[in-house]
Amino acid sequence: MASSCTQALRHHVCKSSRLFHINTQKSNRNLTLSSAAHQQPAVSASEIAVPKKKTWSKEALLQALASTVNRDPSASHYRFQDDPFLTPRTAGEYKLFSLSQESGRNAAKYFIDKFPKYFQKDYAEPHIPCLMPESHELQIEESSEAALIERIQLRKVRAAADLYDQLLQAGTSVSLDVTNQLLDLICFYGDHDPVQDAPEQRAEETVVQDESQSKKGRPHKPSDLPRAVWKEKNNAERIFALLSEPNTRSYSALIRGMVKYGAYSKAFSTYTDLLNNRLTADVHIFNALITAAPEVQEKYNEKWELILDLLKQMAEQKIRPNLLTLNAVLKALRRCGALGKSQAFPVISEMKALAIEPSLASYNHVLCIFYKAGAPIQGQSDVLQEVMNEVSGKSFRSQDPDDALFFITAMRICLDTKDMEQAYRVHELLGVGDNWRLLGEVFQQNIYYARFFSLLCMMENIDVVLKWYRDQIPSVYYPNSNVMRDLLQALDTDNRLDLIPQIWKDIEQLGHGNRQNLVEEVLTLMAREKQSQEVQESFAQCALDVKKMYETGDRGKVTLSWTASSLSDVISILLAAQRRLEAWDMLKLFKTNNRVPSEELLNKFLTCIKESGDVNQAVELLQIAAGFCLPEMSKLIQRVQQEFQLSEQQMSILSDLELQTYNSD
Amino acid sequence: MNVQQIFDHLIIRGPFAAPHAVLYFPLRVACVRSVCRSDAAGSSNMSASICHPALSSICRIKCNINGIYRVISFSGRVRSSSVLSTSAVSAERETAGKGARVQRRSKRPAGEPRTERMSVSQDWTAVYPIAASFKPSAVPLPVRMGYPVKRGVPPEKKGNLELLKIPNFLHLTPVAIKQHCQALKQFCTEWPSALDSDDKCMKLFPIQTRSKEFVSAGPSLRNPDARIVTLKVKLSSLNLDDHARKKMIKLCGERYAKDTDTLTITTDSCPLRKQNYDYAMYLLTVLYHESWKTEAWEAEKTRADTEEYEWEDSPSQKNVLATLVRMRPLGARDEEEEGGVREEVLGQPEVQEYRDTLVKMKNEGETEDNVQKYKEAVKKLLNI
Repeated sequence: MASSCTQALRHHVCKSSRLFHINTQKSNRNLTLSSAAHQQPAVSASEIAVPKKKTWSKEALLQALASTVNRDPSASHYRFQDDPFLTPRTAGEYKLFSLSQESGRNAAKYFIDKFPKYFQKDYAEPHIPCLMPESHELQIEESSEAALIERIQLRKVRAAADLYDQLLQAGTSVSLDVTNQLLDLICFYGDHDPVQDAPEQRAEETVVQDESQSKKGRPHKPSDLPRAVWKEKNNAERIFALLSEPNTRSYSALIRGMVKYGAYSKAFSTYTDLLNNRLTADVHIFNALITAAPEVQEKYNEKWELILDLLKQMAEQKIRPNLLTLNAVLKALRRCGALGKSQAFPVISEMKALAIEPSLASYNHVLCIFYKAGAPIQGQSDVLQEVMNEVSGKSFRSQDPDDALFFITAMRICLDTKDMEQAYRVHELLGVGDNWRLLGEVFQQNIYYARFFSLLCMMENIDVVLKWYRDQIPSVYYPNSNVMRDLLQALDTDNRLDLIPQIWKDIEQLGHGNRQNLVEEVLTLMAREKQSQEVQESFAQCALDVKKMYETGDRGKVTLSWTASSLSDVISILLAAQRRLEAWDMLKLFKTNNRVPSEELLNKFLTCIKESGDVNQAVELLQIAAGFCLPEMSKLIQRVQQEFQLSEQQMSILSDLELQTYNSD
Repeated sequence: MNVQQIFDHLIIRGPFAAPHAVLYFPLRVACVRSVCRSDAAGSSNMSASICHPALSSICRIKCNINGIYRVISFSGRVRSSSVLSTSAVSAERETAGKGARVQRRSKRPAGEPRTERMSVSQDWTAVYPIAASFKPSAVPLPVRMGYPVKRGVPPEKKGNLELLKIPNFLHLTPVAIKQHCQALKQFCTEWPSALDSDDKCMKLFPIQTRSKEFVSAGPSLRNPDARIVTLKVKLSSLNLDDHARKKMIKLCGERYAKDTDTLTITTDSCPLRKQNYDYAMYLLTVLYHESWKTEAWEAEKTRADTEEYEWEDSPSQKNVLATLVRMRPLGARDEEEEGGVREEVLGQPEVQEYRDTLVKMKNEGETEDNVQKYKEAVKKLLNI
């Protein structure tokens, strides 16, 4: 069925998007010359300037058409099925659905690679290489240099190192180029076999790791994973030692591997080796060493002097620094205390003089230097403003792993300084060109939007907040319960409590209906003030929904428990909406949950009963109240006696109750 | 089980598990109606087909059987009832197995459709940017389609397969097309300002070639029809004399359209468009030069071979001449020479008119109008 549907659709697409191409061709002169002369047209052929044919890249048309499409605030991410049943509604579902889709894809890829003989038919025209099975198995069995190259290409670290040893033992010489490739491989993976494709991600995450954000309750930190360290006398060092004449590239591989896996001082001694061998370093070596510099020195000024020394050596060896050099210096400056603030701008202007355009990572480092996380703000908001002036309207591309940290850092600073104007500018920058790609992974996106939204709730009036709320939730962001609480507070400050039932629906939808404090906040806000009749009615409906949440809970598990305040809130909401029967049912819950109602609530209830004039219920209420042994029992009894017209029997019940309370006192 | 229940089933099962009986709804209304009315048997087939898509072909056969069933039931009650009972049993088994599954799934409720969140002033092109099958949760229109049940209204959009089947143009709203045109403008070249009318285009660029580009969402970009090239040229724009023109038309055969005076050459024998284009141009050149040539055997052309009726030296001309000469008074006949008479007689306006109508009638056929005119001309000629 599904296939026939898509078939029909494809057919339709093919039909409807057929583009007719009419080329008016300049005709053969041989044939028309005489006729043209004969008929005497007003303009001759030579007067018409036929425009040159335009050429464009293969994707240009698609990109132009894609540029007409904007984001749909009501839709979820396009990777999900557009169906109310299948779209994720909470952050957890979002993650689960995306990961399951991805793992399904991986499973399919695994089977295609595992059984390539069943997937040889090439449907695509022109050929699409990534759709065909890839070979991860070793093809060459005998020990030769070609086999070594194959192992390097398939990233089999251990096997490649073993084969290299075999080759050397057999007396075969391996060319320096291949050895360097082998060194690169070993140093990149720190002498461990990569686990499928995961290590690359892990390597990226370790860069993120020292960022302050990652400390805040990430579900599973990358630092929890066993992190590879540079081992003494590992394969890389051994192979390097076996080289008779290591060149710059061999040194480069070794030093970068050492820095990557934390052997900083060793990296510096290797660099001294390199200088002793009268070789010149390359830019990657310097980048790695600058990154390592803050680790080998203790004091701030010593660190900075070491970096300066490295930069001077670079200049001596006539090596042009690149963007990564700039970013490494700035990143190192973040750990140089007060020196950072004074040196950051000279470094940037120096780099600009060398025609190096800073990337978002550079700006991120600058912001981190000037605005330390958790430190008090000392009126430096102009730095953010300057940075924003610099980057506004520019489209960036990914050049450094730290690029993805700029937006969350900038938003953090906006939140810290409560600077709404800059926050809007940061968010605007996100919409320019392909900058949204640099927002980072889902986790970072959530941080970014949470910060932006908290700031909005804090600074803007409720209409603007709701505009953003409708635009972003839940199509790009699934807020956590804290953000929802911020929103409730914003509603409270702007006196738009009538929107609470609507927000409650969203809260339930987002899976925060089981957060005790959030639910209680909702109830308190609804119960606090008297609203118009209409609003009270919707509140009562909402309160009953909340009550349902207490009863059934989330996925059959009851996670909420009634407290005295939540119960009395629900009852007073129901009473305000004149729903006495439901309120009466709620009152019974006090008993079953071992909670005690306040006198105020009972008074409210009595007032309500009085309005309807139901004497029996008033007496019953007193009986229930007596069960709780309230200290103000006598006042209540007095009130009933005064305000209601009681029958004989009821009088006697009341006097009994009075006696009871008297005795208990 | 009535049709509404069937639709409820569909909603629970999602849009892709479709019973075939419902699929063929509009095409075979009579069949479905009989299925619905023949209560137990009909509904059993429905549920059976819900349960397994692979059974669909069997279902269709069953469906047909049911269509026939009503016819059979008049003749042989016993046979049809046996069919009924077996299918009813299978239906029970299927529904029993399915009840548990539906219950388990209902734990996750379907969220509210996103149409609820759409504002009136939303950007529709963002909601339906590309051709996609109908999504009930994304289209904020109260669309209904399908066979109305019990004189009711057609089923609503949610879980409605009828709406999935038909192609929609929700992505091609006028606004979207305008935006696309704006985006694609950068790829177009400017039209030469000197070519401001169609006449000029035809005069200066008499040859038109046409080929098609195909866009489809499939694994292959290629479409075999893209190689076909169609070349069009008006014969009047070629430098041809009467002989060459007639020969050209003869050579072209059906490729020449007389009413528009257009020669159309379609080439599809080569695998590439470029080759086909070259071949079309080659054919045109060859045709042109060939039609200018006069072969020796062309002299053997007789009156019977001519494309159209010719007045000169035709039997009609001779007869007219003879008749008119005989009609002249005797004296005048002797005085003048033979040639002069001929000139004079044929130069008469009556004779001219007779000639025109005759040629017209011979070339265009004997229509009522032509025959009438011919009659008038003959009358005038003979002074009747």
